[in-house]
Amino acid sequence: MRGLFRWHGKWWPGVIPLVIFWAIAAWTSTEPLEADLSQRATAALKDTVLDKRRIAVSGRDVTFAADAFSEDGRLSAVASVEAVPGVRIVNDETRLVPEAKPFVWSAERDVARVTLGGSSPLPSSKSKLMEAARATLGGVEVADRMNLARGAPPRFDNVALLLLDQIAKLKDGKITLSDNKVTLSGMARELGGREAIAAALKNLPEGYSVAANDVKAPPYIFQAYKDPVAVTLTLSGYVPDNNVHAALVAAAGRKFFSEKVVDNLKASIGAPAGFAAAVVPALGALSRLSTGTLVVTDREVKLSGDALYEAAANQIRAGLGKEFPQGWQFKADIPVKPAAAPVDPTVCQQLFADLLGKARIRFESGKADIAADSAGLLDRLIETALRCPSANIEIAGHTDADGEEAANQTLSEKRAQAVADYLIKAGLPASRFTPVGYGSTQPIAGNDTEQGKAQNRRIDFVVR
Amino acid sequence: MAYLATFFWGWLLASLLLGLAMGWISVVQHGDGVSKNWKRWLAALAVALIAASLARVVPGRFGYWLDLGLIMFALYLCGCAVGSWLRDWVVSRSTPAA
Repeated sequence: MRGLFRWHGKWWPGVIPLVIFWAIAAWTSTEPLEADLSQRATAALKDTVLDKRRIAVSGRDVTFAADAFSEDGRLSAVASVEAVPGVRIVNDETRLVPEAKPFVWSAERDVARVTLGGSSPLPSSKSKLMEAARATLGGVEVADRMNLARGAPPRFDNVALLLLDQIAKLKDGKITLSDNKVTLSGMARELGGREAIAAALKNLPEGYSVAANDVKAPPYIFQAYKDPVAVTLTLSGYVPDNNVHAALVAAAGRKFFSEKVVDNLKASIGAPAGFAAAVVPALGALSRLSTGTLVVTDREVKLSGDALYEAAANQIRAGLGKEFPQGWQFKADIPVKPAAAPVDPTVCQQLFADLLGKARIRFESGKADIAADSAGLLDRLIETALRCPSANIEIAGHTDADGEEAANQTLSEKRAQAVADYLIKAGLPASRFTPVGYGSTQPIAGNDTEQGKAQNRRIDFVVR
Repeated sequence: MAYLATFFWGWLLASLLLGLAMGWISVVQHGDGVSKNWKRWLAALAVALIAASLARVVPGRFGYWLDLGLIMFALYLCGCAVGSWLRDWVVSRSTPAA
């Protein structure tokens, strides 16, 4: 041991190569050491949930910055990095994710995309919501504008998923969750969508409530198009139920005597009150036009098309609005079709026969009141009568053989007179028409069948 | 420390061997050693550097280099001591007893 004291004064020359060794070791080992520590620190944090994680290593010192979602999580993350072998100092630059007060999350839908915004409590719930949105919305683009924040209400994920299901039912609009209050606005995608959303919101977990639900239903649309070229009446849009559907199609069949009814109607809830009561007379008005379109949007009726003559246009414009239930609006755009070229009385007779061959003028049963369904046919007859102004016309009423002959005679006369009055009211000179009743004396079919009787109950126009 | 040793054990071994060699040589070397005054200053410097290292006051890469240098120097000194002791033992055995 004595020797050590004796000789240690002579150890210094070895320090020179030692310093050289040290310099080389420092030069070559620093970067690999830093890379290795960085990798180990990252691996140590693999299972820790953090946002904006950043690890910088200088020598053996680790600068660790991250946003943690709880104080415990933050401390345990720092401890994990400190426990990595070889780490000398951890510069702790971690902090807690800011707390959102109130905690607001939103989903907004426009024409192009759905944007998820506001705050989300964890990266995992954020990605879960994005995934669910993509799955629920099919091909619609989903944009992520969500921040991470603390302070989410309990069962946030379940509520947000429920609300995402509702955004799929909107055409456009916004759903906002503010703490535990839900606000909805926008337009439902389909009729009944608003009701479906309201029903789904009843499944919100306890503690959550709907602050405002301003989702609007899409307009309830019914359309009818009378096409004079294809000789069709096309019905499209919605009807409240199958009964109204059948009633409308039947009414259209009666009013449009020569057109084929093309039925594209769908039944859907959400019809405005008095739907059928408004649509039936509107179809009657459409039947009086040579070509036209009827559009019923919620409680607004728009009728456009050409009337056959001036008086008809005036009657439709003035009369139709009065027939609608209260609260309904009526807009008419009804010009008059240019008058057709005049023709010979013989051609007129042929045209009358053609029209009355397709349909008969209908009356209330046993009475001389013309049924509203015959307005379209009468307009055609008037239009024809206007084409041969020089012709005098006998309006011949006939009945079937049921009942007393005297009563039938009177009824046939009254009905012929009612038709003549209708024509005169339309602006034709009274001198041109001679109403005559023939009772059941001129049958055109046997009176032993219902069908034959129906054929015998008729009004004929005879040019004299 | 164990992590560091596994990371640059080669350089530590080199320091130790260098120390052994220096210790081995120093027993039979002629010439002056370091003066007492110098020894005092050098010891003070070593203590200061060790204190700085333990207190972790030197930041970043310089801190790492300081630690590395001190460990290498410590092993060098151990090597020197062992080398000198071995040489002394060998020399005293080969010298005939007076």
